[in-house]
Amino acid sequence: MKRLLALALISSAAQAAELPAIPHFADATKSSGLHSVYKGEWQYMVGGGVATFDCNGDGFPDVFIAGGENKAKLFINTSKRGGAIKFEEARNAGVELDHVTGAYPLDIDGDGIMDLVVLRVGQSKVYRGLGHCKFEDATAKWNIDGGDAWATAFSATWEKGNRWPTLAFGTYIDRKFENEPWGHCTDNWLLRPNEAQNGFAPRIALTPSYCSLSMLFTDWNRSGTPSLRVANDREYYQGGQEQMWKVKPGEAPSLYTLADGWKFQRFWGMGIASADITGSGYPAIFTTSMADQRLQFLGGDAQHPTYKDAPFAMGTSAHRPFAGGDTRPSTGWHAQFEDVNNDGRYDLFIAKGNVDKMPDFAQKDPSNLLLQDADGTFVEAADKSGLLNFGEARGAAVADFNLSGKLSVLIVNRHENVKLWQNVSTALGHWLELRLQQDGPNRDAIGAWIEVKLGDKVMRREITSGGGHVSGQNGFWHFGLAAQTETQVRVIWPEGTTGEWQDVKADKLYLISKAGGPKAVDAH
Amino acid sequence: MLRHKISAALFIAFTVFGADAFAAPAASTVAPEAVLKQWYHLILTLVRHTATYSPPLASRNFAYLGVASYEAVASGDDHLISLAGQLQGLKSLPQREKGKAYDESLVLDATLAQSMQNFFGNTGPSGQNALRAMEHKMMHDVSQGVAPDVASRSTAYGKAIAAQIFAWSKTDGGATIANMGFPLKYELKKGPGHWVPTNQQGLQQMPLLPYWEKNRPFAMPAAATCDLPPPPAYSEDTNSDFYKQALEVHDTKNSLNDEQKAIARFWSDDPMLSPTPPGHWVSIVMQISERDHLPVAKTADALARVGVAVADAFIGCWHTKMEYDLVRPVTYIKKVIDPKWETLLITPPFPEYASGHSVQSGAAAAVLNKVLGDHFAFDDSTHVQDNIPTRHFASFDDAAKEAAVSRLYGGIHFRAAIERGLDQGHCIGAFAAALKTVK
Repeated sequence: MKRLLALALISSAAQAAELPAIPHFADATKSSGLHSVYKGEWQYMVGGGVATFDCNGDGFPDVFIAGGENKAKLFINTSKRGGAIKFEEARNAGVELDHVTGAYPLDIDGDGIMDLVVLRVGQSKVYRGLGHCKFEDATAKWNIDGGDAWATAFSATWEKGNRWPTLAFGTYIDRKFENEPWGHCTDNWLLRPNEAQNGFAPRIALTPSYCSLSMLFTDWNRSGTPSLRVANDREYYQGGQEQMWKVKPGEAPSLYTLADGWKFQRFWGMGIASADITGSGYPAIFTTSMADQRLQFLGGDAQHPTYKDAPFAMGTSAHRPFAGGDTRPSTGWHAQFEDVNNDGRYDLFIAKGNVDKMPDFAQKDPSNLLLQDADGTFVEAADKSGLLNFGEARGAAVADFNLSGKLSVLIVNRHENVKLWQNVSTALGHWLELRLQQDGPNRDAIGAWIEVKLGDKVMRREITSGGGHVSGQNGFWHFGLAAQTETQVRVIWPEGTTGEWQDVKADKLYLISKAGGPKAVDAH
Repeated sequence: MLRHKISAALFIAFTVFGADAFAAPAASTVAPEAVLKQWYHLILTLVRHTATYSPPLASRNFAYLGVASYEAVASGDDHLISLAGQLQGLKSLPQREKGKAYDESLVLDATLAQSMQNFFGNTGPSGQNALRAMEHKMMHDVSQGVAPDVASRSTAYGKAIAAQIFAWSKTDGGATIANMGFPLKYELKKGPGHWVPTNQQGLQQMPLLPYWEKNRPFAMPAAATCDLPPPPAYSEDTNSDFYKQALEVHDTKNSLNDEQKAIARFWSDDPMLSPTPPGHWVSIVMQISERDHLPVAKTADALARVGVAVADAFIGCWHTKMEYDLVRPVTYIKKVIDPKWETLLITPPFPEYASGHSVQSGAAAAVLNKVLGDHFAFDDSTHVQDNIPTRHFASFDDAAKEAAVSRLYGGIHFRAAIERGLDQGHCIGAFAAALKTVK
């Protein structure tokens, strides 16, 4: 890929490049009303995550936060648009569970109300949204096999022809082997809809499984059929590697192999972020790890899943702390590509934190906020932007909590209260936020691609459910527009229909339905 | 052998006076052989799962753990000679109290339990769990049936050996490993033919442990004792020896048969995914020990010599590597022969000449030939749990040669580094082989 070659030559140029616009963040934890501690030792050393979604239909993202040995909590967003971010803890919402490691929002039954997949140490569960931020346990009703495992990953897709989604659950170590856990990874599994399309068939084991910490259905080659990328922790598997499963409708899942072009990769796979950050049309894959984080681009052609590491000069390795004086290698967890400074380029947030008193790795390990520059390189800005988190971060959400067009960051740290960093920038570029809606199943159009014109380039976002580190989002999807005050947008819907380019104004929220065009909305 | 003397005396006493006279036998019911086996199983596991355990550090600590084990065993065996005075910097070791009884299994267990804390203090939370569980279980099992005063004395003595070995280790120059062995600053040598980073990882833009050669050797007199002549002179001329050896790597890797690929992967021994290359040879010793029911004295002797040999091998090899600072095949081949060429194995992040695998395998084979014989056939199942099948070898030399040539198949070494590396290993290993252990 030409872009990769060009990036290989930019090491000195990258250092000389001007910094992109620095956003500004303020610690709004206390004023926000968020109070939740992810507690627990060995079985909770990975996780806790946060699910970000609108559970009461007001447009604002509410949050469900894992608590480990503490009860998980649901917080209702009471912010005003553009104002201080405020939450109130929901009482008796029906999801106040213990042993929760993470969660993903997903409208499974297609009723237009978000449901919640809750990952746990023990049986993972699925809760049906009832509206008004109330939920009922639908695990048994929908014949969800939640297993009895240390659940650490999730992703979902709608396979062609199905009214209900296909769910993938990822798990970690067999809890029986605490004193010698190596080589004791438990099975991941797939749940496909039953024939009646009103629940799920028995599980399909994704064997072999290698202690997964993230999984993501992504249409890596734009074939229209997503595959399941799985990040695996080499600390605990034997004979394992990173994986990508072919999940073709009507066929048993099968792994991409060397013969397909899949390369043998083994590292501490911990979190997955995916986005078309170069404008190539294909998503890059970012996998967090210990020491070097891995940004990879599809090499060769779209027929073969051969990924190549991004050049070191691209600035995404984030292998050591950039602040705090600890020079030992870093440990990465949740990762998310978003445009936090509205300049029309994907930036990258990486939650960082020592596993648990591992002396070979940084104890003081600040999370990263890498801003993408015009030349495609990334530069650290967490310290300059005020987003300096030294907690043992795990899951996170980068989201527009006050629908201001400015993305804020919620971080779940181990052993301490969550942290909320509100984006209080005053001089960012214009923006656009879009939410997709379609009738029937898959209301939120998981698997769609949104394209937004910015000057002579096209920005793209794949709508996915999964990835990160035990933390999922659904709601308005954010695009930075830099100086542009209007633009055009189109959607490539999950079944392959490409919508028309349609005009939209900057600094607005839009609902885009398949039948109609973009409709500006005002959250209330 | 003192332990056997005690056991025999107790057997007679037990027979004469009946069970009531000795409600608890004075010797552990767990044999020292089992103690050694169980701890080494955990050692090999934690070497794989402790991030600082790159091959050089692993070799160093295998030496200290091997010497500690050997000294624990030798101190209770009248036929064995201490390595104190034979290894650089190891002047003396604690002595047993004369006329007092010791339990050999407990001495060994305490030595290893304490040494594990000393050498794996930086392992992660799962490793710490495993260490605690093993220490607790072993102490419980091994002390069963041992008189309290004997148990207390034996444990204290084992810990004293471990403490002395640990104190000795702290002065060798390799005790502190920062940043997984990659320096924060290091000036790469300029010019064609010099090593450059071969991947896009941030940590690995510097060579691994570039100052490792400065560590105090164990049995080898100095890092440069077995130095090698220069590699073929760097040249991009297609008629040059350098080009020809690069072309050999290129052509070999591109035409590998299944057996050659299997050999490359069998000896890949990547850190964090295996017990490392030195651990592979330790694993071979433990497999043979179990198969042949070797007495603990023999196994401990082999573990000490292999540890010392591979540790010296990495010091000597690193001296040569940093002296010549040679470019890796992948760098040269991409530049001069084929820009799209890729290796089969991951190219390690340090200079090419000589091949570390070859040097340490040559050294390990040299000592194992001495301890077990030079036509000693064995099966090697080090990686079966990783779905890499067992391989059979007719001798240690055969295994060492295969380990060495595996790096050619993997595309990560030129032939000169491999063949001369074996020679360097034989030279270094001879010092460990010459250590006196039996009276």
